[in-house]
Amino acid sequence: EIHIKEPIEKEVYPRLLPGELLLCEASTVYKYIQEDGSNRGTYGKLVCTNFKIAFLDDNSASDDNEPQFENKIVGENDITLQCVDQIYGVYDEKKKLLTGQLRKYPEKLIIYCKDLRVFHFCLRYTKEEEVKRIVSGIVHHSQTPKLLKRLFLFSYASAAPNNTDGRNQTVMFETLEDWRGELERTKGNAKYKAVTTNEGYRVSEKLPLYFVVPICVSEESILKYEGRGIPIWCWSCHNGAALLKMSAFPKEQDDSSSQMQKAFLDGIYKTISKPPYELLKTDDLSSSLPSLQDIQTAYTKFKQLFLIDNSTDFWATDVKWFSLLESTNWLEIIRRVLKKAIEVVECLERQHTNVLLIEESATDLCCVISSLVQVMMDSYSRTKSGFQSLIQKEWVIGGHGFLDRCNHLHRSDKEEAPVFLLLLNCVWQLVQQYPPAFEFTETYLTVLSDSLYVPIFSTFFFNSQHQKDANMSGESLNTQSSPFRFLTVWDWSVQFDPKAQAFLNNPLYADKPKPDKSHRKTARFKHQRQLSLPLTQTKSSTKRGFFREETDHLIKNILGKRIGKFINSSDEPPNSFREFYDSWHSKPVDYHGLLLPCIDGPEIKVWAQRYLRWIPEAQLHGGGTIATATNILDLMEEVQSLQVKMDEEHSQAISGDLHSVPVLRNSARLSSLFPFALLQRQSIKPALPTSTWKDLEDEDDLVNRDDEFVDLSGDIL
Amino acid sequence: TPATASSFTKPKVLTAGSTLKFIPEELAVFCRDFRLLRFHFHENGLAPQAFRVANAIAQAREAAAWLGDAGEGHDGWSCPAEAPLEDEDEEEEEGSAATLLFESLRDWEKELKRLGAVGWRVSAVNERFDMAPSGNRRRPRGRSWRGAAARRLCWHHPGGGDLLRAAGFHAASEPGSEDVRRCSVLLQGSTRREEPGGYVSGGPVTHWGHPLNASSPLPEPSDRDLNCLLASLVQLLGDPHTRTLPGFQSLVQREWVAAGHPFPHRLGLLRRDSPREEVRTPPVPPLPRLRPRWVTGTRVLPPQAPVFLLFLDCTWQLVRQFPAAFGFTEAYLLALHDSSFAPYFSTFLFSCQRQQGRGSPHRPCSQTYTPVNGWQDAQPAVPRAGRTGSPACRLPTVWDWGLRYSRHQRARFRNPAGAAGTVGPPDTADPQIPSRPTDAWPGPGAGNVFVLTKGTLSPQPFPWRSSRPPPRLSRWAPSLESLGERGDSPGGNRSPAPTPGLLLPCAAGPSVRLWRRCYLRGLPEAQRGRFAPSPASLAEELTLLQDRLSAWQPAGPCTEAAGSPLAPSR
Repeated sequence: EIHIKEPIEKEVYPRLLPGELLLCEASTVYKYIQEDGSNRGTYGKLVCTNFKIAFLDDNSASDDNEPQFENKIVGENDITLQCVDQIYGVYDEKKKLLTGQLRKYPEKLIIYCKDLRVFHFCLRYTKEEEVKRIVSGIVHHSQTPKLLKRLFLFSYASAAPNNTDGRNQTVMFETLEDWRGELERTKGNAKYKAVTTNEGYRVSEKLPLYFVVPICVSEESILKYEGRGIPIWCWSCHNGAALLKMSAFPKEQDDSSSQMQKAFLDGIYKTISKPPYELLKTDDLSSSLPSLQDIQTAYTKFKQLFLIDNSTDFWATDVKWFSLLESTNWLEIIRRVLKKAIEVVECLERQHTNVLLIEESATDLCCVISSLVQVMMDSYSRTKSGFQSLIQKEWVIGGHGFLDRCNHLHRSDKEEAPVFLLLLNCVWQLVQQYPPAFEFTETYLTVLSDSLYVPIFSTFFFNSQHQKDANMSGESLNTQSSPFRFLTVWDWSVQFDPKAQAFLNNPLYADKPKPDKSHRKTARFKHQRQLSLPLTQTKSSTKRGFFREETDHLIKNILGKRIGKFINSSDEPPNSFREFYDSWHSKPVDYHGLLLPCIDGPEIKVWAQRYLRWIPEAQLHGGGTIATATNILDLMEEVQSLQVKMDEEHSQAISGDLHSVPVLRNSARLSSLFPFALLQRQSIKPALPTSTWKDLEDEDDLVNRDDEFVDLSGDIL
Repeated sequence: TPATASSFTKPKVLTAGSTLKFIPEELAVFCRDFRLLRFHFHENGLAPQAFRVANAIAQAREAAAWLGDAGEGHDGWSCPAEAPLEDEDEEEEEGSAATLLFESLRDWEKELKRLGAVGWRVSAVNERFDMAPSGNRRRPRGRSWRGAAARRLCWHHPGGGDLLRAAGFHAASEPGSEDVRRCSVLLQGSTRREEPGGYVSGGPVTHWGHPLNASSPLPEPSDRDLNCLLASLVQLLGDPHTRTLPGFQSLVQREWVAAGHPFPHRLGLLRRDSPREEVRTPPVPPLPRLRPRWVTGTRVLPPQAPVFLLFLDCTWQLVRQFPAAFGFTEAYLLALHDSSFAPYFSTFLFSCQRQQGRGSPHRPCSQTYTPVNGWQDAQPAVPRAGRTGSPACRLPTVWDWGLRYSRHQRARFRNPAGAAGTVGPPDTADPQIPSRPTDAWPGPGAGNVFVLTKGTLSPQPFPWRSSRPPPRLSRWAPSLESLGERGDSPGGNRSPAPTPGLLLPCAAGPSVRLWRRCYLRGLPEAQRGRFAPSPASLAEELTLLQDRLSAWQPAGPCTEAAGSPLAPSR
């Protein structure tokens, strides 16, 4: 029985963005706060615009407890149309997936979101007309195929042109200068050049306007096969070895043309393996990594673990949690990708060979591997602007088909694959293994993954640079003279105010120390200590102690079947890989040098903040890593204040950069999934399955138990 | 510590009974603390020695019933005492000295006072162990029946609830039979309707215990296994004092050692039974290195079961979930785990206090202790013999960490962030906290008594209350459901802090982790970060800086920082 609160009388209006249009609405919709059987919730209005589905209640006004971390664009009860994963209707307690045309209208609507929120709306008290309109409106606008031009991106851009010309630190790679700058930064300009061959997209629409190839590759050969078979530069390592990618030729039926292609490739390989170029290693990712299909299947299963209807559901699956997790194969895929990246790193770092990644279009797994390699090897990619530039270079300009892979337009489900999410998951593993090495936090990654579904930024809403250029100028010329000016997701001030943005920066980032000054300071703090890691590999690990070596050896041989199995479940990696991996891990970590993730089974974890943040049962109040972080921050603050006092003692200079650390007081009340869980209504119910308590309800049984006890009231004391 | 000799990649398990029919090339030692040591014998003339050494090890292991740590000094964590008595100066005060051993009346009274438990008294009825041989000598009791079934106080909640433990009534019944009643942990929720903590503290524990009940057929007729586990976990959740290092040690001492947990049997230290025993395996935790098997030939020994390891693992889960709430670290738990196999601490050597008092173990197994006595003879200057208080026992307790671990290592045991807990539970600081019952002994009828049996809490109809119907459950269970609503009550804060000091762990799948540094001891990667500079040393550095600063400017107002929770108490 639902206990009915007073339906709201006063009219509430949705907060609309520029260009946002109200499409349909329904009042007296009941939203369950948390479907735990208690049927608690609030009444409000459900609206659907061309940007989002929103639930409006008047509670927000009385809420004096302002959350610390709030998104300005997408509120707590807002779901962007692109964020909707699946919609279910409930008819007489039965759940049915809603797609396309509806004949009957449900009494309850369940919306599963791609950021793993779950909304339950009860429509029983809503007028029938409104139910029809809102349900069909929501289903139509969020689940049916769409034209690109109908994306909210365009209405927003024309209504609110981007006037923020703030020079972001992120390198966008839209100009030739950006590419030249990158070549210079990595010292690759001796052997590689940025080419303008693709201006006007003469070569291919899939390739970016500008890109970098080996100097010896001629313009004709680039033009010959629309850029296929051409090694495209990704990044140069400090020792000169480079990471390259190439889109492979499709399988040809025609014998002669495949012969020609083979000859062409041989020629290319020959020219780029000659000095001054290093030896070349090729890696066909389509055969050495799971297919996109596998990745999609695994993720679909994996996310089901977190799209929980209610707490009963949660406890029901919790019993089998570990085997369910195992069966999704998602963590195993993450591990294989990380391992592949380490293998590539080993070739570049130790063997001084160039590595050429080959994939059919060179825009999916190539992007994952090349980005990961750069995050591991280049400390610049671990800064915020560096990471953003990397995403821009490899993914946005590199031509990853965000539109298709995220299925933003609902054109074809077959193209869908969470490739970018896979990268973020892999980077997260690194972030949680080596927090001080990254300038950004896991919150940054979570927020970035959420931004995939916010269609006011152009970043994740085009398949290629060509598509963006084509749509930017094209039709808008008819109406207005100026082209669209889209926002980029890297302008975080659009979504977050400065206070919230502080959560994206890692206060414990071990900044590169200035070598000249403050030598005394850095030597003292052990957590910032620079430990020189000889990057050139020593021949063998002679320094290791007897036991250490023996134990390693033993694990590899005698225990090969036991422990070994869970280190490398699939194919045994080449010995050099293992040696490289082991020897790196036997040394102290240099947060500004090479960074290799641990890839043994127990180290690969579930990204709790992203996946569990909406599940109250999985949260700890006053616990988790946030509790550690708070204490370390306190410690840091104290050290800083001491530093200031010391400085004041010597010179009267006042350093003002003191309180850059976000204040995380009251850690006892923070959730382990901070800052997200604050948005949720919290319950302090003990983390217990309710079924345990239900067993107690049989009272007769308890009465009978009396008899079993002997009356021993005669006290022997 | 089973040894394996291998010849031409054919491994063979070595026992004293089995004769070695070939000359081993390698000797692999599987340690109970999950280390693997492998020794390779060179071919140049070492073969006969290899044979002798391998056999000798197997024999010695058999003879000793335990060998302790076969390969000490492997990674610095288990190195033997460099020099006993090396540095036992005032810095020990955090360690063993503050640990209550609960062997004397005074310790129990001190604890009662700390908890502010009125209505309980320390009973000396078992002074001579004639009431219950396995029980500890003194323990607070309310009322008592006889022997095993007596209820004893474990912990007194500041809100007024008490945690009691008692053995089953039918202590003599067949182990494993269904009718064995585990009337074990009683939660007397006398004030629980006002005080959420009163029962919440019991709540999560049942869940912790849940997998255990499902998987373990251990009967609990004697109140010495799972009761130890559950009682200590409840207190870890509810009593901040037990989360400090001395508090934790007192807890182990009270709920395990003094309560008579049969350590030698459970840890599998006593293995001298039938010579036909073929496979010896260490007590094996979830990770499958070797299959858990405590097949013991023909005779039935008290089964081996890693109950204490389970407790340490549970504690580790809590430490991981609430890193700022504990005064000790993972390194400490590992050290405790490793030490449980070391044969020279009185703590884990005896099944009960009586045994310890006599200085001799269980009759049937007394043979096995001869080597230990021999060890004593060899080194007559066993330190701190008097500490334990029982003249016969001259072994040090495990809490003398200085015997096995260097000062540097011991520094890693402490978590400076958790040191705030040293302040103690609120009721220690301020014993007249409101909810404390003012009348002396409210009597058993004052509140509900809940019994934990087979993983479920149920109201306990005690004999003296049989005239009254048991309390209506409807009053109780729904209040658990509605607890969540309190957070949303208008005016109430959104994240209501429950009872101060109460930990609500998450026992859901995603939160339960593998204790890698314990179980994957042989895996170098798993040990990464273990030797990182400890937070304790950072905090120390901070105090050093503060000291210097104040030395520089004696009049400066820089003393307020010294009171920070991070500064180690000196």
